[in-house]
Amino acid sequence: MKREQIEAALRSSEADYTEIRLEEGETTRVAFRGPDLETADVALDRGGIVRCLVHGGGWGIATFNDLSNLEHRVQQAYEGARAIQAEPIELAPILIAEDEITVSLENDFRGIGVTEKKALVQTYNDILLGFDSRIVDTSTTYADEFKRIVFANSEGTYVSEERPMISVRVIAVAREEQNVQRAFDGVSRAAGFDAVTGQEDLVKTVAQRAVDLLSAPAVEGGRYTVVCDPRMGGVFAHEAFGHLSEADFIAENPQAREMMVLGRRFGRDILTIADDGSLPGLRGTHPYDDEGTPTGRTDLIKNGELVGRLHSRETAARMGEEPTGNARATSYRHRPIVRMTNTFIEEGETPFEEMISDIEQGVYACAAFGGQTAVENFSFSAAYGYIIRHGEVAELVRDVVLSGNLFVTLKHIDAVGDDFEWVEWGRCGKGQGGLAVSMGAPHVRIQDVLIGGE
Amino acid sequence: MLDRLMEKAEEAEVFEIDSEATQIGFKANKLKSFEVKETQGLAARAIVDGKVGFAATSDITAVDELVDNVLASARLGDEIQLHFPDPQPGPEVQVYDPELASLSTERLIEIGNEIIEAILEVDGEANVEINLSRRVRATTVRNSRGVEARVKKAPLAISMEVDRVRGDDIITLFEYFTTATLDESYQAFVKRIAEKLRLAKESASLASGRIPVLFSPSGASVLGLPLIQGLNGKNVYRGISPMAGQEGKQLFDEKLTLVDNPTLDGRPGSSSHDDEGVPRERRVLIDRGRLTGFIFDLKTAALAGRESTGNGSRGLFSPPSPSFSNMVIEGGDQLVNDIISGIDEGLLVESPLGLGQGNVISGAFSNNLSLAFKIEGGEIAGRVKDVAVAGNIYEDLQEITAMSQESEWVYGGIRLPYVLLSDLNVVTRG
Repeated sequence: MKREQIEAALRSSEADYTEIRLEEGETTRVAFRGPDLETADVALDRGGIVRCLVHGGGWGIATFNDLSNLEHRVQQAYEGARAIQAEPIELAPILIAEDEITVSLENDFRGIGVTEKKALVQTYNDILLGFDSRIVDTSTTYADEFKRIVFANSEGTYVSEERPMISVRVIAVAREEQNVQRAFDGVSRAAGFDAVTGQEDLVKTVAQRAVDLLSAPAVEGGRYTVVCDPRMGGVFAHEAFGHLSEADFIAENPQAREMMVLGRRFGRDILTIADDGSLPGLRGTHPYDDEGTPTGRTDLIKNGELVGRLHSRETAARMGEEPTGNARATSYRHRPIVRMTNTFIEEGETPFEEMISDIEQGVYACAAFGGQTAVENFSFSAAYGYIIRHGEVAELVRDVVLSGNLFVTLKHIDAVGDDFEWVEWGRCGKGQGGLAVSMGAPHVRIQDVLIGGE
Repeated sequence: MLDRLMEKAEEAEVFEIDSEATQIGFKANKLKSFEVKETQGLAARAIVDGKVGFAATSDITAVDELVDNVLASARLGDEIQLHFPDPQPGPEVQVYDPELASLSTERLIEIGNEIIEAILEVDGEANVEINLSRRVRATTVRNSRGVEARVKKAPLAISMEVDRVRGDDIITLFEYFTTATLDESYQAFVKRIAEKLRLAKESASLASGRIPVLFSPSGASVLGLPLIQGLNGKNVYRGISPMAGQEGKQLFDEKLTLVDNPTLDGRPGSSSHDDEGVPRERRVLIDRGRLTGFIFDLKTAALAGRESTGNGSRGLFSPPSPSFSNMVIEGGDQLVNDIISGIDEGLLVESPLGLGQGNVISGAFSNNLSLAFKIEGGEIAGRVKDVAVAGNIYEDLQEITAMSQESEWVYGGIRLPYVLLSDLNVVTRG
């Protein structure tokens, strides 16, 4: 769609603020399940969203696939804004941005045929299938996506951006009679085809772990000193804490605001947690958020104290703070809300060996099936774990589920490792389905964690 | 489009989706947003030289690209014995209520305000976020054998989050309600939420151990989810369902009867045909504890040497796969109040945290609970925090102490009663 058409539609609006976001993308997917090809297909997705604000009204929003009459969509959104009487909504000011972001990918996946992509997936899948007769099921998925996004608003911002993403994910399921165990891993980056080739070792590790988990005992439930690996630590930062830092939880909730008052001590001074949407190549990165605000680093906890939060223009205005570039939407089908980008626990100083050296009986929790929080309560399922005994990593265990109260747990982080890693996989399902995010952390040690188990 | 595909293919199918919705949003107890959503899309499958291809687009004018993409996809496919169905009539079922389809914005706002008022009456510090939507969704499946199956639904959906923060005492409820018929049933849904908030004002403590655990319908989703995954024909065919090869066997307590029922009027999960044009029917999958069937779509059935059970389900951008229409666990013969009266010391599980995490396919559940109550001397004594339950349905459902007459719809397409298990592992901080 031409710029003039978009700008004409904006000019036609009677609203006090109007924005239009249009997206067009092509996704290639190849998936195997066991020896069978599930699909090798190309999907085209195109659509848009208009948002309007009117004094004395609320947000009026129109989302659509048919791009043939933008003025009509603007009218729909404007009428929607007028149809409801809401309390005044202000947007924090941002600089007018005019930008065109194009990407240049090494070994651009758009130039590679589906046949070659299928061959790569088949190679990885065959490694899993042939690894051990106890591996009864696999899931090997490849996806690449190239999106073109245009965002323009009535303030004069006009940003066009290319957003690539490529990923490979493998799951191996091993079975011995009624005992079924699974292991998984993957890679996902805003990069070209080379990001997903040469991952044979990662695939073999997944197969090995699925088989090893068959003979691993379930961890005994109880309270333990827990060391989280970087992948579990990253999920913890995102799930247990990150969501509380999203200002749409706090902005209109006085009690929540009291809970998240700046300056409150949340942990020891070794703990720093931040979010940064501007780091190159990561899943949660883009130069501007979906309201045209530039992204960047926002410190959330610095040396144990709450120092910041994540904002959209609306929450920033409501709280008298600066916008942080965290207004994001999963796609044009959804309005932007406050979301994390790349969230991490900053690297500390304690080497892993030192961290475990004085643990008599503990649990080493690795990777995460996922996590969920209900404000202060969290629950995470580790993909696998190990017992730590007499200062050393001992036997593999399964069914490691960490849960507890966030505030108590953050205070119990008493060592932060010197071995930071990004987790190159992440989908955040806040209300709108899977949005690309990433998480990172070093190893962290947490005292007195409740581990549920048989 | 079918004709163009049939120039190159032995069989072809086109799936069309058209949907429009109006959504009202409340945040922090106040009206906030109004949204109009229009969705369109086309997806196609073609069988060329016995190989199946798939492609999809949300741009319904991009027919040329769609045809090229589906044929290219077929060249890469596996050869499987997949055949699209012949036209067959399906059951009559009501999922389109014209009154619901044209429900006004004012009425949606009114319902939202009613709900907020009812909750604030119980707890003035509650912070309520609600999304109410009315929607009309039409899907049409056409294939080269003459199938033209159109399904039109008009669901109303209410999704809410209720937070109440009082210092470090926090409660969060996630609730969801949906219906395809305009009735007052949402009021019962709201009453239940208000009741939970009221009961949560008192605290109680509980020691760890093996005790009776009563799962409310939403709590019982931790028991339902492994069953849903285990009964899925895809997991059975892949050999990862513990129920594979166990048909006819008594796997569970005879109180457990589980049904897939697409014929329930007024339920958004119901329809006359599935997303492949196969007619639907009510199926008993677990009959008084005995495993009697699984659910299949066309492709899984073809791979497994079985017939489709009319459970082919799809979104726009994926080929079909097996899914329940309405999963119903039939209620029992006791009233829930009588069940509670009979418990000396136990736990009532309302809301689990982290549903779906962990090794669900193996039957395991291990969940911290975002809302649970202590039952003491036959009464609900107060809210218990920092508590988790764990178990495995393949062991724990072999002896079900009681199931209630009362049932509720949870997450839209799942209907569960209260389920009492007399001896389950509970871990607490206290």
